[in-house]
Amino acid sequence: MAYTNKMHVIYGDGTLGLGGDNFHYIFSYEKGGLESLKLNGKEWLYRVPTPTFWRATTDNDRGSGFNIKSAQWLAADTFSKCLNDQTDLVVDDRHFDHLPVAPETNKFTNHETANKVKITFTYETLTVPATKVTVTYVVGATGQINVSAHYFGHEDLPGLPVFGLRFIMPTLATGFDYEGLSGETYPDRMAGARHGKYHVDGLPVTPYLVPQENGMHMETGQLSITREITENNADHSAEPFSLKISQEDQPFNFSCLPYTAEELESATHIEELPLARRTVLVMAGAVRGVGGIDSWGADVEKQYHIPADQDIEFSFIINPTK
Amino acid sequence: MEAEIKWLDNPEIFRVNQLPAHSDHHFYRNYVEWQQHKSSFEQSLDGQWQFKFAQTPQERVKDFYKVDFDASNFGHIKVPSEIELSDYTQNNYINTLMPWEGKIFRRPAYALSQDDPEEGSFSEGKDNTVGLYLKHFDLNDELRGKQIRVRFEGVERSMYLWLNGHFIGYAEDSFTPSEFDLTPYIQDEDNVIAVEVFKHSTASWIEDQDMFRFSGIFRSVELLAQPVTHLEDFTLKPRVADNYRDGELAIDLAFVGEQAGNVHLVVKDHDGKTLLDETKPVTEKVTVEPHEFKDVHLWDNHDPYLYQLLIEVKDAKGNLLELVPYQFGFRRIEISPEHVVLLNGKRLIINGVNRHEWDDHRGRSVTMKDMLSDIHTFKENNINAVRTCHYPDQIPWYYLCDQNGIYMMAENNLESHATWQKMGAVEPSYNVPGSVPQWREVVVDRARSNYEFFKNHTAILFWSLGNESFAGDNLVAMQQFYKEHDDSRLVHYEGVCHTHDYSDQIPSLNKENYLPQGETHDYRDELSDVESWMYLPPKQVEEYLKNNPDKPFMECEYMHDMGNSVGGMGSYIKLLDKYPQYFGGFIWDFIDQALQVKDPISGQMVMRYGGDFDDRHSDYEFSGDGLMFADRTPKPAMQEVRYYYGLHK
Repeated sequence: MAYTNKMHVIYGDGTLGLGGDNFHYIFSYEKGGLESLKLNGKEWLYRVPTPTFWRATTDNDRGSGFNIKSAQWLAADTFSKCLNDQTDLVVDDRHFDHLPVAPETNKFTNHETANKVKITFTYETLTVPATKVTVTYVVGATGQINVSAHYFGHEDLPGLPVFGLRFIMPTLATGFDYEGLSGETYPDRMAGARHGKYHVDGLPVTPYLVPQENGMHMETGQLSITREITENNADHSAEPFSLKISQEDQPFNFSCLPYTAEELESATHIEELPLARRTVLVMAGAVRGVGGIDSWGADVEKQYHIPADQDIEFSFIINPTK
Repeated sequence: MEAEIKWLDNPEIFRVNQLPAHSDHHFYRNYVEWQQHKSSFEQSLDGQWQFKFAQTPQERVKDFYKVDFDASNFGHIKVPSEIELSDYTQNNYINTLMPWEGKIFRRPAYALSQDDPEEGSFSEGKDNTVGLYLKHFDLNDELRGKQIRVRFEGVERSMYLWLNGHFIGYAEDSFTPSEFDLTPYIQDEDNVIAVEVFKHSTASWIEDQDMFRFSGIFRSVELLAQPVTHLEDFTLKPRVADNYRDGELAIDLAFVGEQAGNVHLVVKDHDGKTLLDETKPVTEKVTVEPHEFKDVHLWDNHDPYLYQLLIEVKDAKGNLLELVPYQFGFRRIEISPEHVVLLNGKRLIINGVNRHEWDDHRGRSVTMKDMLSDIHTFKENNINAVRTCHYPDQIPWYYLCDQNGIYMMAENNLESHATWQKMGAVEPSYNVPGSVPQWREVVVDRARSNYEFFKNHTAILFWSLGNESFAGDNLVAMQQFYKEHDDSRLVHYEGVCHTHDYSDQIPSLNKENYLPQGETHDYRDELSDVESWMYLPPKQVEEYLKNNPDKPFMECEYMHDMGNSVGGMGSYIKLLDKYPQYFGGFIWDFIDQALQVKDPISGQMVMRYGGDFDDRHSDYEFSGDGLMFADRTPKPAMQEVRYYYGLHK
């Protein structure tokens, strides 16, 4: 593709491929999201990213009964339902009002290009009543992805434990670097944090006696996650490689752990957690406070709740680098 | 006198032949010993003891204390240590309910009826495990020919003591030193000391602290020899004048042994300048009248300035018999007419933590290393105060707090929440100590011991009657003890809030949640100098502070740091800026109580909590509420504490 500054667009029959010098992305119509995020030949995704709504119950959540009140968000987090017929695609100025598959795509070639591709997936939450979440990827010719997620508020739903996007990576990261706040922070526990650049070795799980939500980093500007191995059997390199994420308009919140909320939720001791083998990145648009008044009834202070009846929107940028 | 197992059932028998509590000073033969921190008057009995465990009182070997007893089938245990942590009996963590919950029906003696002594409740208790300890020893040369006492610094929960086959005495009050005179039966060589330790007695009702339930000789044991004339006790009375600039010092001393020779007292400042120098003949009681100190260097958290007192006891010829060094500071705590707590004339703000003694391998048998580490953590994170929850700590901890300017709330060994709190409801139908006459002396004795041992520690600003023990005439008697003996500190007690109607002061509180059903006597004006609550949300703290507070307000426990917590601390801290009557509080708590064990599945060292030992009923991970993990690494929340506590240093 050296002869053009545009990205290569591959109109598949179940996917849309986008490629450039050092990146290749595959959006799956069936799986409902970004199936492959390949940078410099290294795959970054194990499964398609999905909206995330659950955090592993904290002791304070349990004490106040928040996990019971908001239990349906656990189902919504565990099982993702993408409304495939609502997937929306715009390639440069061309809007596809339904997915471009054969025979409609038979007129395309292997030389299709674009400057900008925007694809939006719509998810229906497994709550009663249901509401929707959209996730939009805007890919530029250099491979930069502007990711945004939108939660549509619904007044009949219980408060959310978290709202974000969960990326699961095929192998364990060796660590991450970020520019943001020191330590583990939450909206109601970040006054003591210092802004700076920090390196975290490995993917430490904070060893609370009962595994629970941990490792959140509020108000982050830059994040770089580093891995050394892939699951590609033909990849014999052990050279470190990184995924870089930066803020779009606003700083973002994230946690980077070897476990999903469900895995943390099901263990009563740290050593019961499975062997760490993947990297779970949660990009959180809204984070509920942890509370602290007591652990047997007091709720998190109201300003640190995530009310279900209000829309939530957040965004960030994935930057391919050479 | 012979030992009687029935004492376990009787709340009126809690000390037999124990020496009276007295100040916790060290005494040395001379200056060299002091410099080397090694007194030749002292002989440690720590180390390996012979040990036999019994599941019940009935199964115990009853004549093990006799000199001709064949102990060849005894095993060994380390002193100090917890019996449970040597795997003789099950670990159990339980919070409010009694450890026999769901296993044995019990009521405290005399609580429901004056005719109900509950005989056999513990002496025949199927859950009352027994540790039998034996130690053979020779006296060190320096101790021979002298009066000898033994000091047990901490034994859970009730102990009987024999020496060379003779019954010596009995003690309860697990967290307070117990001393016994051994002189009548001590030999230079081949002594055998025998200790029978019961896990339960009536004391269990008032030692229902939220913690792992252990038993055994868990603090050090030592022999103490006294010279022919010995300073048994003294009371320092440093005062700060109304101008907060000058001070005065008075001292009362009490001697035992020969009433001869002189006592020479010197006070020096850091520069070695002598500020007091007096010599008085030794009599049973010696008083040093108030001595003026001009421009005194005050003691506080930022500048824990201590003066050095040296007391030399000399015989008639002028030979030094013993040297008692003690450091003390000048500080003044009071409540202003505006109900503001003042230290040295300035507003006091408590940036505190509750601290259980805990070590993830040793349980409550903590070491000096643990203590030094905790002090270091306090200093690093702007923690300026500690509540000794809910019992007196090891003696060195008080010295460390003096030296490091850590304000202390020195709490009695008292907690009886099972007797009045039932699944959160206030239900005091069989509450002890309450106002039950037979439970009065035992708790007053605990107040007395706490005072007498620790009265000379500058760091103690508050005496605390105990924790979560409701209220009653017996707590009033404890309070009166402190008021009669000490006008240099405040008295604190939280549980009294369950007897007062706060409809006017905190209107949004629901009475049903803090007051018992039916009538209760209002003890609010009889038990505490300060208004103390636990876990009252910031909004209700503010309600109290807005409604013409008639007492300064504090939270003796707040910011429950269980798991991932300490969110919203700023809502409390900002009240400090708005209301001078608010003087802060003590975070619950400092360190997770969890035990590090080897996981048989993974082979790794892992943390275990309540219920992990098949122990039922349990409160599971509820003891994991520290700012520190049990291995003394800080939780992520510590940076928040350091920040907020740094705002009002």
